[in-house]
Amino acid sequence: MKFDVIIIGGGHAGSRVACGLQDSGLKCAVITSGRSIHGTTLAGFEKKGGIVFADDQITNTCIQDSKIVCVRTEKIGQIALEAEHYVIATGKFFSKGLVADMKKVWEPIFGLDVEYNEDRSAWYAESFADHQPFLDFGVKVDESCRPSIEGKTVKNLYAVGEILAGVSCAEKDDLAAVDAGADKVIDIIKAQ
Amino acid sequence: MQEINLSEHNFEQCQKCGICNDVCPMMAANPAYPGPKQAGPDGERYRLKDKEFYDYALKYCLNCKRCEVACPSGVKVPDIIQSAREKYNEHKSVKLRDMMLASTDLMGTMVRPVAPIANTVLGWGITKSVLDGVMAIDHRRTFPKYSGEGFERWFRKKAAASQASYKHQVSYFHGCYVNYNYPQLGKDFVTVMNALGYGVNLLDGEKCCGVAMVSAGMFDKARKNAENNIKVISDAKGEKVLTTSTSCTLMMRDEYKEVLGMDNSSVRDSIVLALKFIYELVDQKKVKLVFKKDYKARAAYHVPCHMEKLGWSIFTRELLGMIPGLELILLDSNCCGISGTFGFKKENYEISQKIGQPLFEQINSVAPDFVACECETCKWQIEMSTEYKVKNPISILAEALDLEATAEANR
Repeated sequence: MKFDVIIIGGGHAGSRVACGLQDSGLKCAVITSGRSIHGTTLAGFEKKGGIVFADDQITNTCIQDSKIVCVRTEKIGQIALEAEHYVIATGKFFSKGLVADMKKVWEPIFGLDVEYNEDRSAWYAESFADHQPFLDFGVKVDESCRPSIEGKTVKNLYAVGEILAGVSCAEKDDLAAVDAGADKVIDIIKAQ
Repeated sequence: MQEINLSEHNFEQCQKCGICNDVCPMMAANPAYPGPKQAGPDGERYRLKDKEFYDYALKYCLNCKRCEVACPSGVKVPDIIQSAREKYNEHKSVKLRDMMLASTDLMGTMVRPVAPIANTVLGWGITKSVLDGVMAIDHRRTFPKYSGEGFERWFRKKAAASQASYKHQVSYFHGCYVNYNYPQLGKDFVTVMNALGYGVNLLDGEKCCGVAMVSAGMFDKARKNAENNIKVISDAKGEKVLTTSTSCTLMMRDEYKEVLGMDNSSVRDSIVLALKFIYELVDQKKVKLVFKKDYKARAAYHVPCHMEKLGWSIFTRELLGMIPGLELILLDSNCCGISGTFGFKKENYEISQKIGQPLFEQINSVAPDFVACECETCKWQIEMSTEYKVKNPISILAEALDLEATAEANR
């Protein structure tokens, strides 16, 4: 099944990118766990021909020469979902866009490079109300919003929203930065 | 995710966000229902400590699965609720009426020999009044018609002999509705599969999937049927066991394990809705569809709740989208309110119609030639509550395909 853009994550950032690109005439699909709080936004997106794979998750990814070729999901099964561009907007720990154990932090879908402090004791502050350093952890991107795997930039993947290192809406008001990041990705994809 | 949890149904993953309440059609229509969050994970915390906390309002859960689809944390809210109805409900006696409504295969077997009489009698006002008074089955309901000749009998007489001549083979779980109420859907299915070069086999003694039994609280009977079905499906002939009913499919794939606690892992992946199977064949270029040149229709597509849960409505949209003369309008995501046997019960009639109201209004305003929908009980509800006919997408394919040309292309 072919799309122009597949957006992974249907939260605020993912929905914004999806609606923006669908409006400009590209065929978009959103893969999201649950329908999230942006169900209403996504209903409008579906009306315009966008496809929502709700309550689904990615089980398999295929990457060749630093390009994503296709992804597969639990519900769609063996049928490959292919696109020219992919956007990842899966958020941080709460939405499981990032996962941590006692030693490391990783991005579970593609294994993207994640910026975090290797000293476990520096992850958190003693007082709940203080700035919590772990909320700054996240995916590293280049100037075109593209993340990397083992140091190599993924050519057709863009990261937006809270999954990015340094972006956190839980502690500080980064919503404007999230929106600006999403809009930048919309412009980059439209320009291609 | 489930393996790191201590309790079933991802109960511990609930973050208390409340999105489940937001999408619940019952909570919006019926103040007596506390909503999926309270009925599910919140109430479960108390029930785990003491059965006394069991709330009888749990019977209002439609098991539509909308809360589960909406949950961003993967909590199987309706499974928590359905399991609680078995685990904690101390007044388990099932009413005769609920037993009759739930025993779709038993009722079908009994009524079928006298189907023409039964259909007429069930249509009489006086019968409806009696059923309403004695059985509490609402008199405003239109009863589904019973078919004189069941699908299985038709198949054995008219179709079985030629099936072995096809290159590929599949099995078919027809379900009670196709066998007793609407054999035409089964006939359409056989027609389409044959045109694609696939022979159809019946299972060696399928039984009702049990979805209605679970909602009536007849868990042990449902388990017996499940055991039988798992066995006959694992012995099935051909590549897959195809289905035309979304609720039977969901029941056998997911609920056998989650609600009934049965091991269906050996058969789960072989049970597939025919629409998904056909799409896969087309996608892999294993079959070709040739459509009639003069087919023209305007259809409104209602995605049944259980199709939303399966996540497969994309296949219906893509397949019907291939028909050149068909304009397909996607309706808003709404529950029709019937929920299998729920809407037949007298005490539920008004809630049921209230839940379906937005859907009926939208269908009326779209004014299509017909409504496309995979679910049999949605069909009853929509046909009773609007003036529009409902067609299963398989039947639409059967109408729109140039069968001879398709058969030629797939020989």
